[in-house]
This record gives sequence, C-alpha cells and structure tokens, in this order.
Amino acid sequence: MTVDMSNILCTKSHEYLVEKDDILTIGITDFAVEQLGDIVFVELPEVGAAFEKGEVFGTIESVKAASELYLPVSGKIVEINENTQLKPEIINEDCFGEGWLVKVAEYNSEDYIEAMHYDQYKDFLELEEEEEE
Amino acid sequence: MKDQDKKTPLYQEHKALHAKMLSFAGWQMPLQYTSVKEEHLTVRNKAGIFDVSHMGQFFIYGKEALLFLQKLVPQDLTLLEEGKAVYSMLVNEQGGIIDDLIIYRLPDQNKTFKFLLIVNASRIENDLNRLLNKKNNYDLIIDNESDKLSMIALQGPRSSEILEALGLIQENQPGKFKVKDINLLNMDIIIARTGYTGEDGFELIVKNENAVKLWKKLLEKGENFGLKPIGYAARDTLRLEASLLLYGQDMDEKTTPVEASLNWTISKNKKENFSGKDIIFNQLLNKNINKKLIGFKMLDQSVPRHDYEIYIENQTAGHVTSGGFSPCGNIGVGLGYIDTQKPFTEGTKIDIMIRGKFHPAEIIKRPFYSKN
Repeated sequence: MTVDMSNILCTKSHEYLVEKDDILTIGITDFAVEQLGDIVFVELPEVGAAFEKGEVFGTIESVKAASELYLPVSGKIVEINENTQLKPEIINEDCFGEGWLVKVAEYNSEDYIEAMHYDQYKDFLELEEEEEE
Repeated sequence: MKDQDKKTPLYQEHKALHAKMLSFAGWQMPLQYTSVKEEHLTVRNKAGIFDVSHMGQFFIYGKEALLFLQKLVPQDLTLLEEGKAVYSMLVNEQGGIIDDLIIYRLPDQNKTFKFLLIVNASRIENDLNRLLNKKNNYDLIIDNESDKLSMIALQGPRSSEILEALGLIQENQPGKFKVKDINLLNMDIIIARTGYTGEDGFELIVKNENAVKLWKKLLEKGENFGLKPIGYAARDTLRLEASLLLYGQDMDEKTTPVEASLNWTISKNKKENFSGKDIIFNQLLNKNINKKLIGFKMLDQSVPRHDYEIYIENQTAGHVTSGGFSPCGNIGVGLGYIDTQKPFTEGTKIDIMIRGKFHPAEIIKRPFYSKN
C-alpha cells in the first residue's frame, strides 16, 4: 500500500493520525518503530471502548521490552487492525500503511492541533537529537 | 547516560559502530548495533562477538589455593584438572548465592595452583570482600586484575573457523570447558571454550591495551563467516533461551543453588566442609525447599517480563524473574520461582498476570533452546 505522506500528522510522542471521512486512523511513526525494534505482540483495545486523550489504549511488545500506546485524542475505537494480531511484524515493515493500529470516531480535532506534518516532524526529531548531544 | 559510568577499552569501537549504549552494572555497554532479533540469530547461525570487559577477573594462586576455594563453593574442585573450567557459585553460611562464576584452573609450571575466577561486574566488590574475609592464614595470593584486563566473547557455530582464520588452528584451540594460555598476533591471550549463549564459542582475555586490536582483527577476519558485533539486548535473549541464570535477577544471596535448580553444580560426594554445606545438602537430599526455579513458555502470543506474577488455578504461586521473547522458538519464555506447595512439574499449566489479565503458560523443560 502506498501512503500519501502529506495527510499524515505526527505527535511529539511519536503516534501518527490520518483523518478521513470523520474517522482517524492511528498508528506509531517510523521513528517509534525504529526505537522499539522487532515487534512481536500488540495488545489493542476492544472495539467500542472510549478513551481520553493521553490514555493508554494498548501495548506493543518488542523483543526488547513492553511499551505502552497513548491515544493522542479523546474518542471511541471503531475498528482495530486485526492483522497486527497474527502478523505484528507488519508494523515494522509498513507502519504508515498495513501496520496501522486503531480507528477512532467521535473525536474532537482540536485535540491534535499541535500535531505536525511529516516533514515538520522530521525537523522536530533532528532538533531533539541535537539537544540530546 | 550516567556520568560516573565506566567505559571499557572498546567504548570508541562501539560508538564507531553506531551502537545504542546502555548503563549496565556501572558500565557503558552496547545495547544493540542493529536489531536484537538479527543479532540473536547471527549468533545462533553464524557467530558474534561481545564486549564483556566489564566482568571481573581474580587470580588466586599459591600452595593452598585449592584448599581455600574448596571452602567457598559447593563444587568439589579437587576434581578440576589443570586446563579445565567449571561453572560454580560462591555461597554464604546460609547457602545463599553470593555470585555465580566460572572457575578456571590454569596450567601452572610451578606445580602449585593457579585459579582464575570470572565473576559478574556487579558483584566484584562483594566477591572480593568474601574472598578476603575468608583468606585468614591460607598461603595464597588473591590478585584482582579486573581493571587491567578486557574480555571478548566469540560465540556461535562458526567461532572455531574464525579463530583458525586468525591463525589459531583447531587442534590448538581449547576443547569444551577447557582453558589455555596462548600467544596470537603477538598478544598473550587466555582463551577458554566457555560462554553465555548456549552456543559453541570462546572467551578471550587480553590486557586492556590489546583489546581494540583483538576486536578489530576478529571483525576483520570474521566478516567472511558472517561475524557481527552483538549487544546486551541479544545477550539477554540468548542466555534466556539457553536457560542460563542472571545474577541479581534469577538468584541472589537469599537463594540457594537447590532453589535455583542448579543441583548439578553441587558435588554430592564432596567431603570437605564448605559454607552453607549443611543447609544445601539438607535441601538437596530431603527436597526441603520453599521455592524452586522453573522454566515456562507462553501459550499465547504475549511476552512475560521480570517481576510479573505467576498464578496456578487463580491463586498466586510465584513470580517471573526473567522473561522475554524467544526469537528461535517464536514464543514468550521465562524463568521464575514457584512456591513448592504448588505443583511445579513439567506440563503444569500456569497463568502469568500481564497488565491485569491472565495469560496461559506451561512449565516446560529447560533449556528452551539447545543447539542439538
């Protein structure tokens, strides 16, 4: 699947969102994937569950460690990516495409007003790295 | 990064290889160079090198060195021939494990005794205190060379060929659990066929000033064999698959070798007294213990981790001490302690509490991976 990167918005905590027809598709960014390493298990919420912005909605297990997933908006889960349950490695291979995690409805777009376009996000990552060094 | 962390002589090499570093037992060590899974499988299928220079090396030599060490470990060291190595542990008066270590009896021309103890980095001080406290009037010298020596582990099925490419022909390589003094590429090296991965392999000890040269030569000559540098994340998954215990996690001073399911490290016919002997032998012969280390695998795709709780039939039954994902088995595996009031035989169904939910698992035979 080819992804139009111009529609992707990324958060400072390394989730991404794509809005289409009042549904948000949410996943983790390529940077997050690289940090996690080989993903072996993904725990996702039940369809219908509601979350507040910043709440833990699931967990990603990599060979290295368990990492919690934070929802960047308040809203209701309307679909989860079942393919990640049998083939979690698709997140490593194609995080912006086949490796999406959940779809959310009933959200408020002001919740992610600070999210960045992908090229801005890349600049943000570079700045972060410089600060670290 | 912690500023007070020590750096091994290979630190700059790790940086040049773009390793992610981690703070481990007071040292800056490489966590991973590329990917944990890839590094793990490289060691299983080809070969890898590890910087293990943080580990401690004590030399103990003198006429009474054997007599002295006999008092401190459950293993009968009179059976340890020159040029051989044995996995053992320093135990306290209650039989608790002060450290696990490998004792090497080095070849010695003076026909006295010369032992090398390789110990965990985090336990160097405790171990040294223990040795010095017990030294009394024994005629021997304890020499802590930890800060002067570096150690590189070469592990994986192609290790022996790589050493041959370096100029050490196979017939001059030590056999399994044996140790030798050699000179290779103008460096004095103590070489042992031991490791912490469950694979064939070697551990090479050199003076700090030779560490970079040896590391680079290994990488250069090993390239044709698929050799890669391996970080601590893969070291942990490798040792877990091989069911090798990690000190401080799977055992400590409050755990005896019998509780840690290390019965095979106890010499049942050992006549000499040693610390904690009565307690250890009582536990061994009468199976008189309250907890026991077991191995388990998950029956779903979840991954067990350190400190998760173990349940049997909805009742708490123990806890996980080491857990992770097994890249070879493609399943979560772990080590943990079970209350011996509960069943703990192979095949017993257990549950691991992961983020508030039970996940099914089963006690299985260890190791989880064996190269045969």
